[in-house]
Amino acid sequence: MNGNGKKKRIGVFVCHCGVNIAGVVDVERVAKALEGYSGVSFSTHYIYMCSEPGQNMILETIREEKLDSIIVAACSPTLHEKTFQSVIELAGLNPYQVEIANIREQDSWVHSDKEKATLKAIKIVKSMVEKVLQNESLEPIRVGVTRRALVIGAGISGIQSALDIADHGYEVLLVEKNPSIGGHMIQLSETFPTLDCSQCIMTPKMVEASRHPNIRILTYHEVESISGYVGNFKVKIRKKPRFVDPDKCTMCADCEDVCPQIVSDEFNMGLSFRKAIYLPFPQAVPGTYTLDIENCLGLLPIRCGKCKEVCEPDAINYDDQETVFEEEVGAVVVSTGYDLYDLNHLGEFGGEKYEDVINGLEFERILSASGPTGGEVRRPSDGKVPKNVVFIQCCGSRDPENHNPYCSKICCMYTSKHAMLYKHHVPDGNATVFYIDVRTGGKNFEEFYQRTIDEDQVLYVRGKVSKVYKEGDKIIVWGVDTLTGRKIEMEADLVVLAMSMVQTDGVNELLKKLRISSDANGWLSEAHPKLRPVESLNAGFYLAGCAHGPKDIPETVSQASAAVAKVGDLFAQEQLLHEPTVVPVDEDLCSGCGICVTICPYSARELDKEKGVVKVNEVLCEGCGACAAACPSGAAQQRNQTDDQIFSMVRAILRG
Amino acid sequence: MRIRNREKPFGIEKPVTARGQIVIIEDRCKGCGFCIEYCPNDVLRLSDKYNSKGYHPPYVAHEEECVDCGFCQMNCPDFAIFSVEVESGEREPAPAESVKR
Ligand SMILES: Cc1cc2nc3c(=O)[nH]c(=O)nc-3n(C[C@H](O)[C@H](O)[C@H](O)COP(=O)(O)OP(=O)(O)OC[C@H]3O[C@@H](n4cnc5c(N)ncnc54)[C@H](O)[C@@H]3O)c2cc1C
Ligand code: SF4
Ligand code: SF4
Repeated sequence: MNGNGKKKRIGVFVCHCGVNIAGVVDVERVAKALEGYSGVSFSTHYIYMCSEPGQNMILETIREEKLDSIIVAACSPTLHEKTFQSVIELAGLNPYQVEIANIREQDSWVHSDKEKATLKAIKIVKSMVEKVLQNESLEPIRVGVTRRALVIGAGISGIQSALDIADHGYEVLLVEKNPSIGGHMIQLSETFPTLDCSQCIMTPKMVEASRHPNIRILTYHEVESISGYVGNFKVKIRKKPRFVDPDKCTMCADCEDVCPQIVSDEFNMGLSFRKAIYLPFPQAVPGTYTLDIENCLGLLPIRCGKCKEVCEPDAINYDDQETVFEEEVGAVVVSTGYDLYDLNHLGEFGGEKYEDVINGLEFERILSASGPTGGEVRRPSDGKVPKNVVFIQCCGSRDPENHNPYCSKICCMYTSKHAMLYKHHVPDGNATVFYIDVRTGGKNFEEFYQRTIDEDQVLYVRGKVSKVYKEGDKIIVWGVDTLTGRKIEMEADLVVLAMSMVQTDGVNELLKKLRISSDANGWLSEAHPKLRPVESLNAGFYLAGCAHGPKDIPETVSQASAAVAKVGDLFAQEQLLHEPTVVPVDEDLCSGCGICVTICPYSARELDKEKGVVKVNEVLCEGCGACAAACPSGAAQQRNQTDDQIFSMVRAILRG
Repeated sequence: MRIRNREKPFGIEKPVTARGQIVIIEDRCKGCGFCIEYCPNDVLRLSDKYNSKGYHPPYVAHEEECVDCGFCQMNCPDFAIFSVEVESGEREPAPAESVKR
């Protein structure tokens, strides 16, 4: 009987899945055992239910036998529930009248005893019959879409995402925490595998983004919080005070000339100085100075006032304040990039103790024509041209015991690039690379690496460096050549460490706020590692660039465009459909204790103080059932997964 | 990302910009210590000596750190201290005794 007291006519379809199921479970016996079971009017088995003939058979049987609901005993519902829902929809039935009995992952794949596995399969199918007997026909919940996107982080991945969304004709908010867009790519010298100048290919994109009528760039801004649901998010954005009006600033640099506060320049990785009021780099977008309040002499409300005194267009406003405002968007692309692993984790290499033991980004600045040395390779301690440079790969990567277990993927290539560029600058110098493996799995990567060896005479030593230390003026690199087993002691003027890529500082806190999960190493998790690599499990959030894991520029750009294609899918829909298998509240039973409100991981439930009962935002409910399990009054019953249904299922299993 | 703060990258000294020379009119001082408190670069200290009113006036302990921001003169309630901008390297040796007026 179903809820309306009407008798149901249920069909059972048992799948062999080739030998995946039939190799262990006697499918014929399962189909037979279900014949005549309460409500079951038809039962059969077939080799591949998901194949076209299998689907057609279900379709025809529904019509011939006048079935009103079916059970497919097969693989996990995550694989084919949608397939069979559409089959019965074709037959004119409600898609919520199909249930999948999982006899593969939960039975044949985990057992070898045929007899016991077959009995278990029968129990599983019977329990699903009990469930479907009480299933209601449901309609999806429909909601509108705000066709406007938020992109968090404006490195190459964020800029590419913003440009693509904008070119699709939708508005974009591009939020960047730093004073300028550009991310790490704008710091690089030349880029493998083609050696084009990074700034030369990056600045046109930055300018394009700043001029695009659909893009609103919000630099020096951060995302405070995001509420709502896919298609309908409300974002709180915090504007940090810049104290300079970008519209008035003419970038004359007068303020910078007089500012007495001198600090290390982040853009040049601390290899030069900047003032407290500064332009991050000449091509910065937006083109404006920023007063860095942390380093300004000012002690509110007084300032030394030198910068304001000389600023002719009167762009400086010491009263600028932090503000928080709200925006509505339908989709969010997270493109917050990466940081490098802190050198101080590598005590055996001296950490930051030795000025001439540097990381890859520091070397990028030394190589860069716009860098602190004007593109001449000099070492940081005394400005001399280094004649012996040692490059060490995998610093902090592929070392599960002490550091990060993963491969940072790009370091083989950028080390090869570094050694090559060094030799172009200092042809009579010696470049030695210590490596564990050289991984060159990208288009034209292997050829590039071979050129480093053949044309530029870079020496590659397969080995581990165990120590870097100083003897007088010299840096000594001490390790072992693992191919010959010989110990190596080598003098170096400069040592460049290929530090592991790591998740950006502060991003994990942001992810918690966005309810996006990350993996054990802190990288953003995708919805499916193979089939949904650019979506987050949290609907409406998309992933681009290194925030999701180490990547080079071509891969970052491809992922950004792929993420935008998914945003486009979302924005192309008239209305969004949400699963109706949510957990409503029976107001007559609800005592207003609020336990479900605290337990709901999706903030879908809230206490209606006036009525003293809980209210549910069904669009936010993901149907996880946490509240249904927790409610002491039985007021939270999940649709098509009620307590009654669960108890009947348990009874069916116990009966056998 | 945290960056390394280097004192002298490539052996190059930090550039110097405006420098200040402090002038203290000791007899006007009433020893409130505001100048010492507000100096962002910790240039001033309270001296042991007494002025004519019997207060301890400040003295310049780290003149090389003064950037002529003028916080001391902005905060001094008795107009007893001020700074004058000097070109870097032009600063006179710290006067043995500050000006008396
Ligand atoms: C030494 C070195 C050399 C390299 N050389 C090459 C090369 O030659 N060729 C190549 O293809 N690749 C190279 N790469 C890789 C390249 O740098 C990356 O693939 C690329 O920069 C990744 O871009 P992204 O946008 O994902 O991240 P990022 O460039 O890191 O950009 C992320 C942006 O997000 C911002 N952000 C972070 N958190 C927040 C937040 N909470 N709110 C708002 N904004 C935030 C950051 O400020 C930053 O602007 C190199 C990398 C290194 C380390
Ligand atoms: S007010 Fe701050 S930013 Fe402006 S000149 Fe003085 S120290 Fe520099
Ligand atoms: S002086 Fe004014 S206009 Fe010139 S760079 Fe500084 S803030 Fe901009």
